[in-house]
Amino acid sequence: MPAILLTTLVAPLAFLITDWFTQTDKSALFAFLNRTTLLLIGKSLLMAGLSAFFATLAGGLCSFFLHKLSFKWNRFYKIALVMPLLISPYIFAVAWNGGLHLVLGNDASIFSSAGVVLVHSLVFLPLAFIIIGSALSQINATYEEAGLMLVSFKKMLVRIILPLVKPAILISFLLVMIFSLSDFSVPAYFGVQTFTTEIFTQFSALYNFPLAIGQSVLLLTICFAIMFSEAKYLSDSPFFTISLKGNTSKKYSINRGKGFLHLWFWFLLFISLVLPVVLLTIQSSAGNWLIIKKAWQLLEPTFGYSLGLAFTGTVIITLSALWIAYTARVYNSKLPNSLMMIIFVVPSTVSGISLIRFYNHPSLAFVYGSFLIILLAYLGRFGFIASRIIANGLKQIPESLMEAALLAGASPVKIFFSITIPLLIPSLLATFILSFILCWGELGVVIMVYPPGAELMNIKTFTISANAPLALTSTMTLLNLCITCLLIAMFLLTGRVLFKKYSYAFY
Amino acid sequence: MHFIELNHISHNYQDKFVLNDFSVAISPGKTTCLIGPTGCGKTTVLRLVAGLETPSAGTITINYKIVSETGRIIVPPHQRNIGYVFQDLALWPHFTVRENIAFGLKARKEKNIGNRIGELLDLFRISDKTEKYPHQLSGGQKQMVAIARSIALQPEILLMDEPLANIDTHLKQNILEHVMQLQQRLNFTMLYVTHNHREAFQTGDIIVVMNEGKMVLKGTKDEIINSSDRFIKSFLEN
Amino acid sequence: MGKFSSFISGILVPLVFLLSSCQNKNQVVVYTSVDQVFSEPVLKDFEIKTGIRVRAVYDTEETKSTGVMNRLIAEKDNPQCDVFWSGDPVRNGVLQSKGITFPFQSVQTNLIGEAFKDPENHWIGFSARARVLIYNKNMTSSDSLPKSVLDFSNPSYRGQFTIANPLFGTTTFHLAAIFTLLGDEKAKYWMDSIKQNGVIIAASNGDVKRKVMNGEIAFGLTDTDDAFEAMKESDAVGFVFIDLEETGIGTLIMPNAVSLIKGAPHSENAKKLIDYLISQETESKLAVSCAQMPLIAGVKVPENVPSLENIRPMKIDYKSVSGKLEDIQPWLKSWLEK
Repeated sequence: MPAILLTTLVAPLAFLITDWFTQTDKSALFAFLNRTTLLLIGKSLLMAGLSAFFATLAGGLCSFFLHKLSFKWNRFYKIALVMPLLISPYIFAVAWNGGLHLVLGNDASIFSSAGVVLVHSLVFLPLAFIIIGSALSQINATYEEAGLMLVSFKKMLVRIILPLVKPAILISFLLVMIFSLSDFSVPAYFGVQTFTTEIFTQFSALYNFPLAIGQSVLLLTICFAIMFSEAKYLSDSPFFTISLKGNTSKKYSINRGKGFLHLWFWFLLFISLVLPVVLLTIQSSAGNWLIIKKAWQLLEPTFGYSLGLAFTGTVIITLSALWIAYTARVYNSKLPNSLMMIIFVVPSTVSGISLIRFYNHPSLAFVYGSFLIILLAYLGRFGFIASRIIANGLKQIPESLMEAALLAGASPVKIFFSITIPLLIPSLLATFILSFILCWGELGVVIMVYPPGAELMNIKTFTISANAPLALTSTMTLLNLCITCLLIAMFLLTGRVLFKKYSYAFY
Repeated sequence: MHFIELNHISHNYQDKFVLNDFSVAISPGKTTCLIGPTGCGKTTVLRLVAGLETPSAGTITINYKIVSETGRIIVPPHQRNIGYVFQDLALWPHFTVRENIAFGLKARKEKNIGNRIGELLDLFRISDKTEKYPHQLSGGQKQMVAIARSIALQPEILLMDEPLANIDTHLKQNILEHVMQLQQRLNFTMLYVTHNHREAFQTGDIIVVMNEGKMVLKGTKDEIINSSDRFIKSFLEN
Repeated sequence: MGKFSSFISGILVPLVFLLSSCQNKNQVVVYTSVDQVFSEPVLKDFEIKTGIRVRAVYDTEETKSTGVMNRLIAEKDNPQCDVFWSGDPVRNGVLQSKGITFPFQSVQTNLIGEAFKDPENHWIGFSARARVLIYNKNMTSSDSLPKSVLDFSNPSYRGQFTIANPLFGTTTFHLAAIFTLLGDEKAKYWMDSIKQNGVIIAASNGDVKRKVMNGEIAFGLTDTDDAFEAMKESDAVGFVFIDLEETGIGTLIMPNAVSLIKGAPHSENAKKLIDYLISQETESKLAVSCAQMPLIAGVKVPENVPSLENIRPMKIDYKSVSGKLEDIQPWLKSWLEK
């Protein structure tokens, strides 16, 4: 298995970098290392850091309110806050650019950098909310109660709860920072130059491969350094946890300030969900059946293939992630995990080019030129996150449950299937749904490698959107959004029915 | 020769010695209690006997056969015929009471599983809980299920790791008596780990006092009480 | 793993079948940066007419055609693509310089004038777009618009106009043509003065259209197809040709450009497709769907489509413009970042 992973995913990248290193003229090799580039990296890091800070702060506050306080509409807010994950950053950019312009007129361009930070903070808020929220809901009530016996609530919050969720806060910050750093669509739309748009320009305006790859290697090194700190110091702490023991965490009832809470959540929902959706609805000239019909006619032929691919990709990701997490725990093998992390931080254009360079070979034609290349792209992009979710699910299962089965005479295979897997079902389901959302929306790599003639829903929405009437593309985006919501609801329902036996885990 | 023997066992965990040249011999059919302060290596002894840990030095014999030696496990855990009640009980949360008890029986393809489970449930007075999941049981009932599960395979040795740590005194008394009766009836060798010396004096035929990975004294209840060792005296006072 | 592998094969096997059924021999692979709304119907018609299956990879100018261009370059050693259909000749020029295209000449290509194809036939032009000004009728009138792009530096237009990112697409092409005509020094001076005059840089031509349509800005420079689309969508938008005066620099005409790929796996079908694209039939369709001006004489066009005779094309040699483009790109990049 490690060999397969190594050859299918890491080899293309290694191949590309070696090629870059050996083919490029030595004097040009490090041409990208100059003052301008370094300043640009500094600016990009600052912007990504700010986005990560705001997303984590707001996401952390939300998860504290929703997981620790009991008030009306709590469940509704929990679900609604995650919804923006389904909307692509680009749509936020369009909505907010328009919004800013409405308020500020042509001066809006001065605030472009702030706009990028704002949009990134909003887009990645749900991620921070999920990560910190799951850590908060894991805190054993007795820790808090023990604290409350000795000090005031505020002090307990600072001295007990905050330190307990510190790793989650850090991980949320680092992940958002990486995502923000490697996103291209939002800064490009706002016309803000960042290191990632610079790489993109080198690739697509100047076709300067050596320089672009050199810059990518630099970006890769930075991202890797960020993630490495995560792997080294935080890999043992919860990252994304699904509670096994039911909801043991403590909730506090509040008397004052409920109005403020509702205001806060409605404000967030308005700017992160209502505004983009309303904008799309207005643009789609809502309710015009002819346009809806046309949009559906365009999307309908892509539906089966997209669903099949995203589903297969998700199954492969989930199984690979399970394998990676399991070997990491049982055989203490960290290699697959580190490899997945490297692939995760590669910018998507580089990832696409490395896949083409490696797989576009007559003997590998069955991979390149078929759906397999898309599945590989999915796995490379999202395998890491998936494996981290499952690894934390595994960590939640007490060792003694496996040991008890071992003493009872069960073989390792039997233990795996009748103890480990059933207990992992909540994590597996979460991994499945998150991976599906991510695969379904992946554009960066897939647009570079999809086989000629293949039609994928989001790619088509994207390629059609150029020069098609705004109403049509908005309708297509809305349709895509509705379909995604429906599919996820379906998966959740199927999951609950199929795994009803394990309902204790879903509390 | 004794039934279970640990000879010059050393065991380290993350570069720290948990056991250092530890030797003990356990007689068959008796209850031996391991007592000592937290972190003295009691649980490690149980895990070594069960085969869940590999000794870094020394040998372990069960029933006159070497089962573990320096750096390797010779007889794997499930072939040692051992029942183990874990400190956290380790009841599988996705199995009902019946499934928890049946798991080992099915794994060994035993016959008459239904009858065997019925007997055990009656014996532990939990017949009405058969189809319940662990989280639907009270603390005492969980203990009963855990013990029932561990003796379902009729082990020669039963290892208990502070199974009654978080239970009220009255219930604890009940379960302890129940276990002792069971031990007399089925005549298995029991190794019982606790940090509570009163519990140990009540259950143990032989008591082993441990401290910092070493054996301080092995003897009967009276021998321990009358010992002049300073560590034992202070341990008993607490 | 029994259950799981059977589960996976349950999904994979039908997929493999689905895909392998697509792999018939009689096909042609085309990569295009022409907007899918316009290119797809033409390719579908070719399929119906010839029975040759077209497998297309679409990309958009909106993403600067990164997908297809980088793909074509990365695939150089083992080409998968037969035909590259671009919205302007610049990209074909880049591919030509990297040795990715192959010359092709036929009866059809001979219908196209020398000015609109590569001298060695590495690319052949057809249906052309022009660079035009679109404006918001609520914010300005057609009379008060500049008559030439060179007037953009006039202080009366300060902060009222937009152009797309000069590093990409037809905007780069337009600027390269201006640099070729005016010479570097004059062109750079003009660029600096429009920067000082508060030009707004949009993300793409599509974004220029959006900004003008939404009334964010009075007028902007874009392509005819974007202008026509905008007029369909909104009554507030109008467009005018620019640089029509006898003494001026002339209107930039950008033909579609099609190239045969070197080592194309289905070269015979590729040639059929190229001949189909360079035909009266296709030009007439593109005139209807996106108001592109035919380059072959005698093609019937709807009334709203301008004819080449009514405008004064900029007198340029596409090859030298392509060369100029590569020269000025670093400067444009620094201009943008200034």
